[in-house]
Amino acid sequence: MKARLAPALFLGLPTAFLVALFVLPLLSMLVLSVWRTESYHIIREFNLGNYHVLATEGAYMTFLVRSLVMASVVSLICTALAWPIAYAIILYGGRYRLLLTLGFAVPFLTGEVLRIIALQGLLGPIGLLNGVLMALGAAPLRVIMYTNVASAIGLVYLYLPIVVTVIYLSLLNFDQRLIDAAKIFGASPARAFIEVTWPLNLFGTLIGFALCFIPCLSATLAPRFLGGPNGTLYGMAMAQQFGESGTWALGAAMGVVLFAVSVLLVVIVARLVDLRRTGFTGFGRG
Amino acid sequence: MRVKPGKIALLSIVVLTYLFLYLPILHIGLASFARNSIFPYPPKWTLDTMQRLFASSLYQTALGNSLIIGFASATIATALAGLATIGLMRHAGRRAPLYLALFIAPLFIAEVLLGISSLIFNGLFLGLQGNMVSAVLANVVHCFSYALLIIATQLYRYDWRLDDAAMVFGASPARTFFEVTLPLVWPGLLGAFIVTFIMAFNNLEISFYLLGATPTLPSAAWGALRYGVKPELYALATCVNLVVFLLLGIMFVLMMTGLVTFGHRPERERSAV
Repeated sequence: MKARLAPALFLGLPTAFLVALFVLPLLSMLVLSVWRTESYHIIREFNLGNYHVLATEGAYMTFLVRSLVMASVVSLICTALAWPIAYAIILYGGRYRLLLTLGFAVPFLTGEVLRIIALQGLLGPIGLLNGVLMALGAAPLRVIMYTNVASAIGLVYLYLPIVVTVIYLSLLNFDQRLIDAAKIFGASPARAFIEVTWPLNLFGTLIGFALCFIPCLSATLAPRFLGGPNGTLYGMAMAQQFGESGTWALGAAMGVVLFAVSVLLVVIVARLVDLRRTGFTGFGRG
Repeated sequence: MRVKPGKIALLSIVVLTYLFLYLPILHIGLASFARNSIFPYPPKWTLDTMQRLFASSLYQTALGNSLIIGFASATIATALAGLATIGLMRHAGRRAPLYLALFIAPLFIAEVLLGISSLIFNGLFLGLQGNMVSAVLANVVHCFSYALLIIATQLYRYDWRLDDAAMVFGASPARTFFEVTLPLVWPGLLGAFIVTFIMAFNNLEISFYLLGATPTLPSAAWGALRYGVKPELYALATCVNLVVFLLLGIMFVLMMTGLVTFGHRPERERSAV
């Protein structure tokens, strides 16, 4: 019976932990979203009123559409930037590859609040950019102070590191000799990239895209401190339901909407990619 | 030698991105040591801001709480992720993809959703007030997936035949683990611990909803930020940045030396292809 004990310990314990503290909370959010809040009390009756409010009140739809556009734009920019960066590190990094990638991870680890503070130092009315402009005698740039552009710059700043890391890891596991093989058989560098490098790293790219898109969609801090009056995003509006306005049930419904969009994205990614075609060899011993 | 335009373009993108990432950090670093903190070029050095920061009792309590959350979350997350990684590689068999999907699922859920769903679960269904234990456990969920990925990259190269050999010579599973496995894989565990510690220490969106009125460093900074940017906040961010740089510097050195001595054998890396 000893053989049965080990899987129970090694796999059962983490599974039980995640079910209790990850799956159950998400389910409880789902349950709360079909209840309602009246003057700070939660009425435990089934109704879909919260979703009705979210679907009919114009403001929430505006927030959702704005969040979707913002997250798509930011993720596309991040992916477009991360590819040449990761590629350059792989090609020219040499023995400093690890240092160069860790260099991208350092800002990512210092926490969102501190990075928002740093961004205020860059973009704010008294920040670095406007300080330089004013020291040179020019007018301050209005477009980066409390606008959606500032939010977008902030989100790129926040999530570029993780996209770079993911694409870097994908490229690291990619066998460079395949490019040489393609070239030997007469492919131009562009064609080798389009037909070999890109499809084989598509999965990593999509994971990087998703890991940027999902937190951007639910961003609460960047729009709040950088976005200004027209910058409210869905996640920020959701956080307010749990703070200032105390309407937990509506907030839970918004959470379910965000969760559903995230899951949808992951499902699309999983559908788009045929793991075998991307060279995935399985998780386990090599 | 011919200069390649492609190489120059790629490298300049890297340099520009590094500037973009690090300029704000450098800027607030200078600002926190300068008397002219709004535009510290050239800086007039002073330690006033730092002194005010260290004298503040709010930030001291907050620092204590953040340290507790960081240490507790990192310890539990690393231990659980270590178990899970070994489980995935040794015991999961055909069901490995299923388990893997569950284990990395928290990566694909935004932190704020994790925070509010745990708040709902604790507050509404368990009747718990905000407390440190809930905050630690919720942070562990988020850190667990990152720890799993880090440990997996190390254990991926580990040769399990060493364990089998030890067992053949009569070592118990526990003794095998402590005398063979652990000495060989500890850099991965330490790396996971450092990264998850920093993540939990700096986390706002999970801890905030589960702690009630207890301040952590990020939540104290967030509270202050609502009333405008102050030099103290720059100083706080700079201190944390310095510690993070230090920790990751140590980690980098360990990884470099780890490549030479700890269980990593280059020939396995190629044979995996």
